Amino acid sequence: MRGAGFNLLLGLVWALFLGEVSLRTLALGWVIGFLILTLFRRSLGVTAYTRGIGATAGLIVSFLAELVRANIHMALMALHPRPRLNPMIVEVPLRLQGDLPLTLLASLTGLLPGTVALAFSPDRGSLYVHALGMNSAQAARQSVRQMERHLLRVVGGD
Amino acid sequence: MDDFQAVRDLPILIGAFFVLTAAIGVVRFPDLYSRLHASSKLVTLGSAGIFLGVAFALNDAAAFTRLAAVLLFQFLTTPLSAYLIAQAAYLRGLPPILGDGQGGGTDEWGALGRADEVAQADREALRVLAEEGLVDEG
Repeated sequence: MRGAGFNLLLGLVWALFLGEVSLRTLALGWVIGFLILTLFRRSLGVTAYTRGIGATAGLIVSFLAELVRANIHMALMALHPRPRLNPMIVEVPLRLQGDLPLTLLASLTGLLPGTVALAFSPDRGSLYVHALGMNSAQAARQSVRQMERHLLRVVGGD
Repeated sequence: MDDFQAVRDLPILIGAFFVLTAAIGVVRFPDLYSRLHASSKLVTLGSAGIFLGVAFALNDAAAFTRLAAVLLFQFLTTPLSAYLIAQAAYLRGLPPILGDGQGGGTDEWGALGRADEVAQADREALRVLAEEGLVDEG
């Protein structure tokens, strides 16, 4: 909370110094403010905040890279004369907990290479995914696990 | 002006390519589950490319903020609808094609058409709808 407040304040100060309060100057000020907070995170006591934002940025970058990879993979299969689809249903054990993180994981899984979420087990301990064009069940599990690790870092479980 | 034509048109071309492959995939893939892969992934990135190209063509700040909102909701809702369609089909007993014809291809869920899981999913859905006040409790 404190970190977010500091960051908004620094963004506003930057915009005021530039003499123009607009979406662009506020956004630029927010980024510069975030860099300042990262530099002085110990003394300002905002370590949790900077780590949270860093983890969120990591999630977004990794997700976008996977999304592009997933689309090229799927487009090649759609155009291949004899695609090796090898469909299977794989169980992925989860460490992630909570309604919102699990919903996000199920949603993001649908955009990862070769996986679509099917269901959670009744105890929510694992996710069942339909895998397409994956060489092995292990490869499909890895794909989902990687995104789960990013989400765990964002919710602060790791 | 014309120097930027390619920058504007490239995202639309790439987006249109992915939407085309989505259509080809939906026609060519063998069952509902594999078709959902094509429609959820390829349409999401394909439409993102087309929207991006349109935002470049309009070239004002409002177009880009709307683009961000549209993409956010698209990324959140498209895969969730694929998830719900796949789950509903599976629990009501539509068997997925498994393996590549040389064995392999396991179903580690193994709940296909199992009546108790269908009933549980239905109860859960009814409970959520009742909480939202969309149906009477019963």
